[in-house]
Amino acid sequence: MSALELRGVTFSYPGGADVLRDASLEVPEGAFALLVGATGSGKSTLLRLAKPEIAPAGELSGSVRAFGEDVRSLGPLASARAVGYVFQSPDAQVVCDTVWHEMAFGLENLGVPEPEMRRRVAETCSFFGMGPWFRARTAELSGGQRQLLALASTLAMRPRLLLLDEPTSMLDPLAEKDFLAMLFRVNRELGVTVLVATHASETMLDYATCAFELAEGRVREAPLEGLRPEPSCATPYQICPRVFGTFGPESGAKSAKKTRRDLMQGGRAAGGPSGGPRGEKDLLVVDDLWFRYARDGRWVLRELDLELAAGEVRAVVGANGCGKSTLLAAAAGVVRPQRGRVRNAAATSQALLPQSPKALLSRETVRDELMEWSRAGGYGAREVEASLAELGLEDAADRHPYDLSGGQQQLLALEKLLLVRPRLLLLDEPTKGLDRSARERVAARVARARAEGATVLLATHDMAFVRAVADRVSLMFDGGIAVTELTGDFFKNSWLYR
Amino acid sequence: MARPRSTAFDACHAAVPATLFAGVAALSMLAVHPVFVALSLAGALAFSLVARGASATARGLAWQLPLLALVCLLNPFFSASGSTLLLKVGSRSVYLESLAYGATMGALLVATVLWFEGAAAVLTQDRLLALAGRRARSVPLVASMASQLVPQMLGRARAVRATACSCTAAGPRPPLRDELLRTSTMLLSWSLEDSLERADAMRARGWESGRPRTCYRPERFRARDAAAVAGAAVLLALSAAGAWAACSSWEFYPRMSGLSPWWSYLPFALLALLPALAELAARGAGRGEAG
Repeated sequence: MSALELRGVTFSYPGGADVLRDASLEVPEGAFALLVGATGSGKSTLLRLAKPEIAPAGELSGSVRAFGEDVRSLGPLASARAVGYVFQSPDAQVVCDTVWHEMAFGLENLGVPEPEMRRRVAETCSFFGMGPWFRARTAELSGGQRQLLALASTLAMRPRLLLLDEPTSMLDPLAEKDFLAMLFRVNRELGVTVLVATHASETMLDYATCAFELAEGRVREAPLEGLRPEPSCATPYQICPRVFGTFGPESGAKSAKKTRRDLMQGGRAAGGPSGGPRGEKDLLVVDDLWFRYARDGRWVLRELDLELAAGEVRAVVGANGCGKSTLLAAAAGVVRPQRGRVRNAAATSQALLPQSPKALLSRETVRDELMEWSRAGGYGAREVEASLAELGLEDAADRHPYDLSGGQQQLLALEKLLLVRPRLLLLDEPTKGLDRSARERVAARVARARAEGATVLLATHDMAFVRAVADRVSLMFDGGIAVTELTGDFFKNSWLYR
Repeated sequence: MARPRSTAFDACHAAVPATLFAGVAALSMLAVHPVFVALSLAGALAFSLVARGASATARGLAWQLPLLALVCLLNPFFSASGSTLLLKVGSRSVYLESLAYGATMGALLVATVLWFEGAAAVLTQDRLLALAGRRARSVPLVASMASQLVPQMLGRARAVRATACSCTAAGPRPPLRDELLRTSTMLLSWSLEDSLERADAMRARGWESGRPRTCYRPERFRARDAAAVAGAAVLLALSAAGAWAACSSWEFYPRMSGLSPWWSYLPFALLALLPALAELAARGAGRGEAG
């Protein structure tokens, strides 16, 4: 018997075109299945159809069966026993303020008696090793812990099939690995069938037993080997060759041991002939910076030195919580260091792209969004129309920015910043949660901004993005900069980052 | 450094500290009597020092003591009664009795604040919510969601503000009122967006399943807890009787008089010092075990 079976499913939202067209799929019991496809291809819709409580409203034909039963005929208890669902956002799907309450939430809803509830909560928490933070407040958890909590609280209801919608796209690489390892244990040790919708299947291929691709409303089984990226992972994103022709790993083929002056020369040379104007001076100098949020807290930044040459693109990489975002805030002058100083020649002409574009998007329509700073930026409706055309958002100009996909929101926020032509551009994880094509577009846009003279300081976990855009890379650790090298040298000498 | 945590009330049901602290705070507020207020303040301070630590207590006193002094000094200007004239400010007379009444009220205010701070250190919100009756099952859930949303909103407000501050290329910052309006609109739509997914996450886990909800209680009410609550209730009743007797004979004006015998304060003295003593005893026992 298959865990999930879709047969001839056609679905359309009210008044819209078909999202799924005669889609059929069969996930065998015990499988670890992937559902891949571009953003907006209908992966979430397909998953939600298998969970009637959250199925979208629209016109559905065909049959959706879980373990042989039509999912729409299942009562609440049977539905919970059959299918569990984990969402994308670690922030939005946690309901309660303490971990123990979150674990019990679903069981309380189903009216499970207290002794049984205690047993299930205890067993699930033991399986996940959540004991140490069982009584913690959910607001204090990291993103990775919150996502594990979402998985655990769903599993406490003991579903036999688990559906996950982009569960790791908001996590950093380490948290993603932890989450997937746990999901794999759930699959193998507890025998729960897993179906994951994802646009980043590379990280899951070692676990997956089968994969399905959703394209143009149809599902076809995809061979797992075909999903592996090309062996030459050094190939950066395909970005506009006009701007970026001479850039790549070869730029760092010189000796790793250089003076700072040499490094800067190298950085500039790496920019190539079309790299835009380069100033002689450093645009941003951070000197012996120390910072902590609370008076008796730990130092988030300590002894941090950083020089950013005008026209350079610098990537700051490092583990979660090493202080990358704080460094950007300090560079922007938003946080006041306890010791040391920041000299920023572009202090009056800088812009910051926050981790979530929602912290920047404030208008009712996409067009208004781009027009918001038109007076200060000295641009007008004509430039905005050109930007909209370039973003491919002409048709969406009057829609609310929140109706765009995550990738489109990010590109819109970046475009909004670049329209005012900042001299210093600070980017905080600009490719987080985006699919590959959106990442490539962000990379291309950053490369163009650089060609037009902007200096860029960006914090990221995305190494392919670093390869594509950065002149130099700084590895951050323990609140300071451990090493700064040309991008090519950095990857050549690194043991961890490839 | 980690915040010193209360230990005495960790190992019993939340009903015990809830009864104790609610009773002490209520009595402190109702008994406007210099001796009772002094005892209450002493007990609250002692508990704060033991359970919350010297630095947290000192940080609180930095604003609480000036408040006390302010109430004390302002009272003579609102009520010019009494019989012992101290001095004249312009046409106003300042009497000793009126100053004493102000000091009592100021101390009462500070003691009450300290008791609430102490209670907050012991009774975390989830413990308090678990006390809610079985009938009010969705109340704890709603409160729990709200208390999760507030820190999230504040964090997001900081992110929005930091972004706005950082984008100097976008020209001068708008006036404060416009910026507040902009920020609140953004936070509202951001939360609404989240709430759609949160509602789905709730439904996916059986919310609105139509079955009667059950309740996971993280702590159980045992006989030992019942005994402690009963003991606290008896002590509270005795203290209330003592307070009633003491307050009905006591007068501030025109002359402070009518002090009742020492034993009428005894139950309340014990009650006020009980939290600090219990905490000290628990620490002592813990140290003994550790050593």
